[in-house]
Amino acid sequence: MTVFGLTAYILVWPVLSAVVLLLLLAAFAKDVLDARKNGGDML
Amino acid sequence: MHETALFQLSTSTTILLLAGFYLATFLMSLIIGKRHENVDGYMVSNNAIGFGLSAASMIATWIWAASFYASASAGYKFGISGPIHYGLWGALMILFIYPFGMRFRKLAPKAHTLAEIMYARHGKSSQMILAISNIIGSCISLMVNFTAAGALVSVLSPLSFIQGVLIAGVGVLSYTIWSGFRASVLTDFAQLIAMIIAAVVIIPLIFFNLGGPDMLAANMPNLSLAQSDFFSTEAFLQQGAPYLVAVLAYAIGNQTIAQRLFAVREDLIRPTFITATVGYGAIVIGLGMLGLLALFIGLKPLDGNMNNIIPQMASTYLPPFAIGLFFVLVIGSLSSTADADLCALSAIVMTDIYGKSLARGTPNPKRMLFWGRFTMVAATMLGVVFASLRLDILMMLVFVGALWGAIVFPVIMSFYWDRITNKAFTLAVGSAVAMFVVARFELLPMTGAIAVVFELFATVGVGVVAGLMAFGFFGKKVGAICGLLAAAAMLPYSIGFLRDYAVLLSALTSYGVSAIVCVTVSLRSNQRFDFDLLDERVVSFQRSTAALART
Repeated sequence: MTVFGLTAYILVWPVLSAVVLLLLLAAFAKDVLDARKNGGDML
Repeated sequence: MHETALFQLSTSTTILLLAGFYLATFLMSLIIGKRHENVDGYMVSNNAIGFGLSAASMIATWIWAASFYASASAGYKFGISGPIHYGLWGALMILFIYPFGMRFRKLAPKAHTLAEIMYARHGKSSQMILAISNIIGSCISLMVNFTAAGALVSVLSPLSFIQGVLIAGVGVLSYTIWSGFRASVLTDFAQLIAMIIAAVVIIPLIFFNLGGPDMLAANMPNLSLAQSDFFSTEAFLQQGAPYLVAVLAYAIGNQTIAQRLFAVREDLIRPTFITATVGYGAIVIGLGMLGLLALFIGLKPLDGNMNNIIPQMASTYLPPFAIGLFFVLVIGSLSSTADADLCALSAIVMTDIYGKSLARGTPNPKRMLFWGRFTMVAATMLGVVFASLRLDILMMLVFVGALWGAIVFPVIMSFYWDRITNKAFTLAVGSAVAMFVVARFELLPMTGAIAVVFELFATVGVGVVAGLMAFGFFGKKVGAICGLLAAAAMLPYSIGFLRDYAVLLSALTSYGVSAIVCVTVSLRSNQRFDFDLLDERVVSFQRSTAALART
């Protein structure tokens, strides 16, 4: 594995984690809005 | 090679971080607290949790304190492929259970525990086998997480091990006890967000503080040939294979996963579990890279303990604010798993012990809730005491692993095949555990014909694992073909070879024997089970009790 490949291999995981973080925050916001719209509880 | 001393947070900073963390989670739990909690909500919420909350909860629950340390140890020991062989298979446990989870939900949409469905499907002995295996698993997990809290606090602060254990135990119990599973899911979300932010900051920060790509280029000779091989056979055989074999066993044996399968909105099971697979893999493999970086720079683990790798890396290459972030990362991971274990234990006691046994099917919701909260207090006390005693739990882990491997085939097939009986289930698990013990502890000499017999059972076990994994996604025909092909492909390699790997041989034997006995005994029975009965027999406790009161 080249140094560039190894660097990408090490840093891709925090980038992927950040993508998951944004996805979860957006989904949570949608959960909150849906619960308010339907007048029910989220949990 | 160099050994570094550990940076320590001050007592006041440590107490501020711990008190802030647990106070924030406690206040969060108050947002959703109700004066009179619903017993079903206490165990599985409203059976319709949204995608964001349920995916976050699944990731946070599956990431426990050991995840980071074990992943980093794998990176340090096996090099480039090490973290993959820890994190990937752990992530696949989440992925491979969801097709079966969709079946569980379809047949028993109001279930609280998997053991409860086994009671409706088979009866008492199958239910208790599953419930006991779940209880042991959650107790071990609770103890390990409290131990990790003590270790973290004693390593990174002047506070003692026991003080760390006590703070974690009281903190987790305080925000979980009133609203149960609902509090666990909501706080999981916040804990996971904190954990991801910490991971996203810590990994690149350490990498560039070490010197980034230039450091990699300069230190490449520190890796052996096997460690620099992405497809290292050694890493797969020693780290990956035993874990791959356990993929379905861990998922089936864990009530924390079952609870989330029953709680998420039914049409969101697939996206929730796929997202959780990616999220878990990214965080755990990412933190495992710290072990790989430690290998590159020639770091020597303090006291020879691999669990010190991540704290050493953090304390040497992070500024104080980021060490605080690291502290929150570990406390968040162990707390989110510990609260899930408390909820799992309380659900099993409420449903399978009080609901189905003590109350004989007509439970009082108030008393049921009391039993749930009492279980949480008792489990926390036991967890704190056992963690403080620092017991060697290796033997317990071995047995629970055997039990989980033995129940995989009978539990899963009980949801698909109408001929499996209670007798087949019980005999399959009993004989599989017995054969596991013989192979694991070499009670018989693993030579000659005896070794060949066990290797043949293990080969069937390979077929069972591969077949079940394919069956979940692609159905009966593909599952059977994959199982047969995997067993046939493995046969030449297992005879004369597996006898030297007692851990792998015994685990695979457990799968193989369990499947053979379960199928053989079931085929001798003419009983047929009507799966529609599960929905009639597994009901909401609060609603059914209210209906009974009205009649």
